[in-house]
Amino acid sequence: MRKLDEKKEILYVIRTLDVLMSSGVGLEAALHTIGTGGYGIISQDFSNLMEKLKTGTSRGLEFEIKSLMNKAESDGYRRLLNTMYTNLTQNTDLIETLRKQGKRMEEDRNEAVKKYIEDLGGVPETLLSIGMIGPIILAIVGLVPQILGDGAEAIIGSIDIAMINSVVNGGLFFTLLAMMMIGIKAHTKDPGL
Amino acid sequence: MIFDFLEAFNDHVLVLILLVLGIACAAGGIPPMIERNRRRSIENKLPDLLESLSTAVGAGRGLQEAMLDQSRTTPGILGKLLSETLETSHSSSFDASLSAFASKTRSSQVQRVIVLINTAIEQDAPLQNILSDLAMDYERLNDLMNKRETELVGRGILIILFVCIGLPLLIAFIVGLFAPASSGFQISSFNSTFSTFFAFASAIGVLVSGRMLGRMKDVLWWVPLWMASSMILYLGAVKMIGG
Repeated sequence: MRKLDEKKEILYVIRTLDVLMSSGVGLEAALHTIGTGGYGIISQDFSNLMEKLKTGTSRGLEFEIKSLMNKAESDGYRRLLNTMYTNLTQNTDLIETLRKQGKRMEEDRNEAVKKYIEDLGGVPETLLSIGMIGPIILAIVGLVPQILGDGAEAIIGSIDIAMINSVVNGGLFFTLLAMMMIGIKAHTKDPGL
Repeated sequence: MIFDFLEAFNDHVLVLILLVLGIACAAGGIPPMIERNRRRSIENKLPDLLESLSTAVGAGRGLQEAMLDQSRTTPGILGKLLSETLETSHSSSFDASLSAFASKTRSSQVQRVIVLINTAIEQDAPLQNILSDLAMDYERLNDLMNKRETELVGRGILIILFVCIGLPLLIAFIVGLFAPASSGFQISSFNSTFSTFFAFASAIGVLVSGRMLGRMKDVLWWVPLWMASSMILYLGAVKMIGG
């Protein structure tokens, strides 16, 4: 969930930092503005960071950003934190790097949306195939003793109805599980718009 | 007639519970749909508004004056909310009324834009460039969101049609044809197992479809109704075909 939230907010955070810092706001003040809210999990992170700085329990902004890098789950967020850290320790051109990162991230987002749409193209058919094949086979298994009647025992030996019921129930449960696994693709590959 | 219909499913308590729950929940499912349409109509008009504001600010007009002009020409709910905001700004500060406007729209896009505009005003940043950049950013974002919506809505509907309607009817047809109750087949426990399966399969189908479109929480309201529908379709079709 954290990764998805980060992916969702990171581009807006970069744009905001760009606007704020281009107009002369310092990094710490910019982080404070984002920490006041509106950017989900990233706002929370920055708010905690500023709180630590305020209370004096921190060794400094660069150490806090470094520790956030370990917490970050998405590449984009980690890259942004790394850019900030480099700026703090080596005085690099943060605004230019932010612009480049924003551009790159936007291209990545466009690609991710296209890929998401393509990847989900076959989901309805796959869901129907799995949802259909399982119940058809299991329906036949469940009805065999009744359809074949006395002849069933002659063909497949003694029939344990309880066992057949367990097989049908178990099979249906696994069919649901398989459908769920296919559906999870729609969640895990979400481009985070 | 309604009681006759309900009585046909007397042996399947889960259907009746889900049906009642589904009808009740459907009432909760409509407001999020209306709210989403309203929000998206505001968000789709946001880039045009920002572009026009950028042009007006570039021509030397103040932001408040430019907004007043735009509120008169912007159609729909965005223009209406904007003009309401500017009316209230006479009795309060411009910043406060902008924040009120952002919260009235209930759109995270508008809220972000307003926060950024407020910060830019505070910091004396070049508003024309910022508004123009924001307009382009949000235009691209809305294009992507609309593309996702148009491309995936068909597939989402297809999943619901396949899993919630097609699948129960197909299996009911097979069962009704090859093991009709009228011929003495004892299939009541079999039907109960399969109808429960179709209910859960429908729930999964509806949730997957909602997740694909990025609104799983909204479609949760419709889950009980679809579960009940697929159970009714299966049990009804088995009864109709198999007697």
